[in-house]
Amino acid sequence: MAIKRFTKMEYKNADELVFGEAKYPVTYGLGQKAGAGHVIPEINFAPRPGAERNPETLRREYVDYITKDILDRAITLGFPAVQLENEHIFQMVNDPQKFEKPVVAGQKELMEKYHDEYGIALSIRHTIADPRLCEKGMRPKMDKVHNYPEKVIESAEVACENGADVLSIESMGGKEVSDYAIMNGDIKAWLFGIGYLGSIDMEWLWPQLVDICKKNKVIAGGDTNCAGANTSMFMAGGYLDRDVARTFAAVTRCIASARTLIAYEAGATGPDKDCGYEGPILKAISGKPSAQEGKGAQCAHADLMGNLMAHTCDLWSNESVEYHPEFGGSSVQCWLGVIGYEAALMTTAKQTGQDKVLRDLYVAADRYKSPEGFCICHDNAYEIGKVIVENGDDIYLRSKAAGMKAAELIDAANKKGQMRLNKMEKDTLNKIIVDLKSLPDDTDKFVDWALKTYKDIPMFNPKNYGL
Amino acid sequence: MRFVGGYERMLDTSSVNYDVIFRRYDIETETKEKPEAIAEKMLGSVSDARLKKVAEDVVFMNYKGVEADVRAALEKTKPEDVIEKGLVKGMDVVGELYGRGIYYLPHVMVAAQAMDKGIKTAEAKMKGEREARGTVVMHVAEGDPHDIGKNIAAVLLRSNGYAVFDLGRDVNVEDVVKVVEEKKPDMVTGTALMTTTMSAFPKIADRLIEKGIEVPFVCAGGAVNRSYVESYPLGVYADKANQGPVLAAKAVEGWDYKKIRTKWDDLVGAHGAK
Repeated sequence: MAIKRFTKMEYKNADELVFGEAKYPVTYGLGQKAGAGHVIPEINFAPRPGAERNPETLRREYVDYITKDILDRAITLGFPAVQLENEHIFQMVNDPQKFEKPVVAGQKELMEKYHDEYGIALSIRHTIADPRLCEKGMRPKMDKVHNYPEKVIESAEVACENGADVLSIESMGGKEVSDYAIMNGDIKAWLFGIGYLGSIDMEWLWPQLVDICKKNKVIAGGDTNCAGANTSMFMAGGYLDRDVARTFAAVTRCIASARTLIAYEAGATGPDKDCGYEGPILKAISGKPSAQEGKGAQCAHADLMGNLMAHTCDLWSNESVEYHPEFGGSSVQCWLGVIGYEAALMTTAKQTGQDKVLRDLYVAADRYKSPEGFCICHDNAYEIGKVIVENGDDIYLRSKAAGMKAAELIDAANKKGQMRLNKMEKDTLNKIIVDLKSLPDDTDKFVDWALKTYKDIPMFNPKNYGL
Repeated sequence: MRFVGGYERMLDTSSVNYDVIFRRYDIETETKEKPEAIAEKMLGSVSDARLKKVAEDVVFMNYKGVEADVRAALEKTKPEDVIEKGLVKGMDVVGELYGRGIYYLPHVMVAAQAMDKGIKTAEAKMKGEREARGTVVMHVAEGDPHDIGKNIAAVLLRSNGYAVFDLGRDVNVEDVVKVVEEKKPDMVTGTALMTTTMSAFPKIADRLIEKGIEVPFVCAGGAVNRSYVESYPLGVYADKANQGPVLAAKAVEGWDYKKIRTKWDDLVGAHGAK
């Protein structure tokens, strides 16, 4: 399928953006509707170490323990709709027939049983793993050691043929350059790594995934720049962390949104991936349903936008939790409770016509807590979306525009005294603005410059991107 | 009140007192000390002006100028001293600035690059190879492509004078064991992001024990935790990259994994390096 660029916003203004409804709702799975007037909890999990010992131990962990626990708790707590997300482990992509197939089929079989018995709306997102190594080769026939590029595609097929309702991936294109950018505080390298190279990789990967989904009548969900922007965000961390300036993380997030959008441009319909904190920008541009995570994902990581991230979500997720016992049941049961109750609150707000009030409360609580959260508040997300679509036909220019708009928004709020910044955040923001302004408006010139400047980054091979 | 998107906000939040909603502890506790003042204080004992300049090149990330300044220092000072009394002193200041939250990770990375360039220039004047403080073999677990933590730790170990054999990422158990047998390192490290890739660590530990190799095996990464790492022999937990040099120093001193575990809280825990 060809890439169809977004050159206009699907929403007329930012106020239309609210949780629990999307301009283009999606129906799938066992009675599931995303973005259709209610918020769905999406529970994600990781098996215990050692569960991967053999295909049967892995199947048992995922199906008999994790999935059953989730479904039992969903019925116990009376949740009308639940989505599961299985983020595949390495063994499942490395040997899809042995490790992936029984898990995918087993989870779906059990879900059908509960759906038939209780009428609960259920669906499962399978997020296939992307173990591709740039040093070995990111495209088919390049990696002679592991054949990872071929295995990624096979894994998508196995998931779609055996029970996936939604297919997603956390694709890795450009990571070798974006890691360098984070370690060296180099926003120009980030723009090249994620805005340009990451976008090229998405353009290679996503049309194939969409085709596989269509063939199997599975929803092509979307991607996330977890490998890049979340690395940046996690390292920027909270108020005790001093590794990456939070202004840097904010700008990297907004540049990443232009890259993650490509899944939709290749035909994905949403809901996108929960850990893509670029989700509000994607939703503002595309009108597609969005999965997000925040305060209900403290089992996986701390963040400075726990309330805020709920404000435009259609599915509300816990990110991931290792399966283990807690006082209140297993970990997946406890965290399903956390996100399920929050989803119920949001849906109640919709039912009572108070959804935009709750949205604004979510936003108000965290709006000035961090530059990254500030940039993805729906009004700012909309502004960033606008500059992306104004430059929609060029992956470099739109990424640069997103980064510059983010920096300008933070700078303006800081100058007004609203968004306080520490010294490092301020210095870094100033440098980002100077650096982005110094770049050419001609894509070819930028690429020529970047290929020369970053040629010695370890493991970077332009051939992975057809360059 | 209007948002920049140009629509009326439904909820008037102008009365919100953000001081009772969250506190910017990072800003409230931000030090007023300047890197220049700290460097001056720490480098005060360096009396040779050329060595001091070399140290400052590292502190202030003078990647372009460090080579020439090291050459100038080599005119009067032997290479080993240019490294130890100039470049390493400078990196000590960088470590202090990083520890105090004045420098961030990119400063450390660029300073380490300047130091590395200076060391290469000095080493070219040495008769033999510079003796490393110790040897570390590093890898990322099989099936795991996430290597930024390992890469940061490698830079910090190298800049602290350790020889690093970096096996890269997605490294299988036998390859790690083979290199450890060959290189006989003072310490081995493994990182992993996922619960089902970190399970390679006990396998590596078992294989090393089988071969009679008892070396501290420092394990770290997203899903990795202390109780897991201490559930298998040789395992020593680390939760930050900058703990690597502290643990390596003890391994070189001859501490075995049991002793490091016992003293872990003092070394890198609540009372140790942050």
